[in-house]
Amino acid sequence: MALQLNLLHEEISQERQRKRDPLKLGIMGLSAFGLLLFLYYGWNAYQTIQIRSQLNAATAEWQKVEPKVTAAQKRAAELRQIIDSTKVLDALIDERFYWAPFLAQVAHCVAPNVQVTGLDGNVIEGDGSIAVTIEGLAAAREPRAAAEEFRQLLMEQLEKNYKDVKVTFRNLEDLDTMVNLSGQPTPSARFVLNITLDPKSNDTAKKEEPEKAARKRNEAEKI
Amino acid sequence: MKPKKFNKDQIQKIILSVLGFIGLIYCYFTFFLGPLDKSRATMSASIAEVQAKTASSKTEMKKTANLELQAKEATGRYEALKATTADGAPIAWFPPKMRTFFGEQGIDKVTARLESSAEFKQPELSDWVKDTWAIELPQSEYAALGNAIAQLENSEPLLAINHLVIHAVPEEPQYQQVSLLAQTALFKK
Repeated sequence: MALQLNLLHEEISQERQRKRDPLKLGIMGLSAFGLLLFLYYGWNAYQTIQIRSQLNAATAEWQKVEPKVTAAQKRAAELRQIIDSTKVLDALIDERFYWAPFLAQVAHCVAPNVQVTGLDGNVIEGDGSIAVTIEGLAAAREPRAAAEEFRQLLMEQLEKNYKDVKVTFRNLEDLDTMVNLSGQPTPSARFVLNITLDPKSNDTAKKEEPEKAARKRNEAEKI
Repeated sequence: MKPKKFNKDQIQKIILSVLGFIGLIYCYFTFFLGPLDKSRATMSASIAEVQAKTASSKTEMKKTANLELQAKEATGRYEALKATTADGAPIAWFPPKMRTFFGEQGIDKVTARLESSAEFKQPELSDWVKDTWAIELPQSEYAALGNAIAQLENSEPLLAINHLVIHAVPEEPQYQQVSLLAQTALFKK
C-alpha cells in the first residue's frame, strides 16, 4: 500500500475551520434575517404612509364639513327654540278669553225692561276661569221675576258656548222708587249677578275652535 | 460519525451571535416596528373617529335640513308674532297705538299706562316680556265698545284682556266708562 502524504492538511483544515467560523455564519444569518426584517418594516412603513394619507383625507373632509355642521347645529337649536316658542305663544293665544262674544251674549239677553249698569269681569289667574259681576235694574209689575228671567236667559245663552256656567244672584232688592217704562211708572228691583264659567268651549264650540285658531293665525301672518 | 465538538473560541462566537440576534430582535421591535405599529393603530383609530364624526355630521345636516322644512310654518308664524312688537320702548309706542286704534273705532280720549312688566315663567319665552297695561275708555257706547274689543282681540293675537270693568255714566246713559287690564307678550328688542 502506497503511503499518501497530504502536505496541505494544515491549510485545508484551516480553510475548513475558516468556512465554518460560527461568528461569520452568525453574521451572515443575522444579515439575512435583518434583511427580512427590514423588508417587513418597509412593508409596514408603506402601509403606515397609506393610512396617514387616508387620515389626512378624512381630516380634510372633516375640516370642510365641520363649519357647516357647527352652523347646522346652531341653526337646529335656533329652530327648536322657535318651534317651542311658537307652540307656547300659540297656546297663550288659544287660551285667551274672548270678551267680545261674551259681551254680545250679555247684550242679547238684556230685555227692554232690564238695564245693566255695571259689569266687572275677571280672568282668574291659575285655572283661567272667568268671574263676572253684573249690576242692573229690572222693571216690571213683578221686578224680581223680570230679574230672574234675565238670569235664566243669560245662563241658558252662556251654556251654549261655555262650560260649568253658574249665574247666581248676589243681591236682589226691590227699590222704593218707580221707574218710567214706556210712559208707565213701574216697580223696579236692583240686582247683582255673579257669573262663573269655564271658557273652554263645549262640544259645539269645540268644532268651531280650530277654524277660529286658523283664522287668527292667518291674521297674524298677514301682519 | 463523531459529533463535532466546538472549541472554546467557537462557543464564544456562537454566544456572541445569539446575543447579537437577541439584540437585533429587541431593537427592531422596540425602536422600529413597535412605534410604527403604535402610530398605525393610533391613525386607524383617528380615521375611524373622524369618519364617524363626518358621517354623523352629514346625518345631522340632513336632520337640520328636514327640520328647516318642518319649521318653515313655525318660523313664518314666529316672525309674524315678533313683528307685532314695534321698535323702541313699549311705553313709547303702545299707548299711542291704543289711542289710535280706539279712535278709529269711534272711542276717544283713551289712555293707556303700564301697570307691570314681568318675565314669562315658561323658559321658551325667555326672549319675550309680559307687560300689563291699564287702558281707560272714559266714554264709549256699548256697541262700539263690543266692536272695538272684537277688533282688538282679532288684530292683536298676543294681547289678552284679563280684567274688564264697564260702568254706565249716570249723566249720559248712552255712554259707558270702561277700564281694561290687558296683558301683552312683547318681543325683547
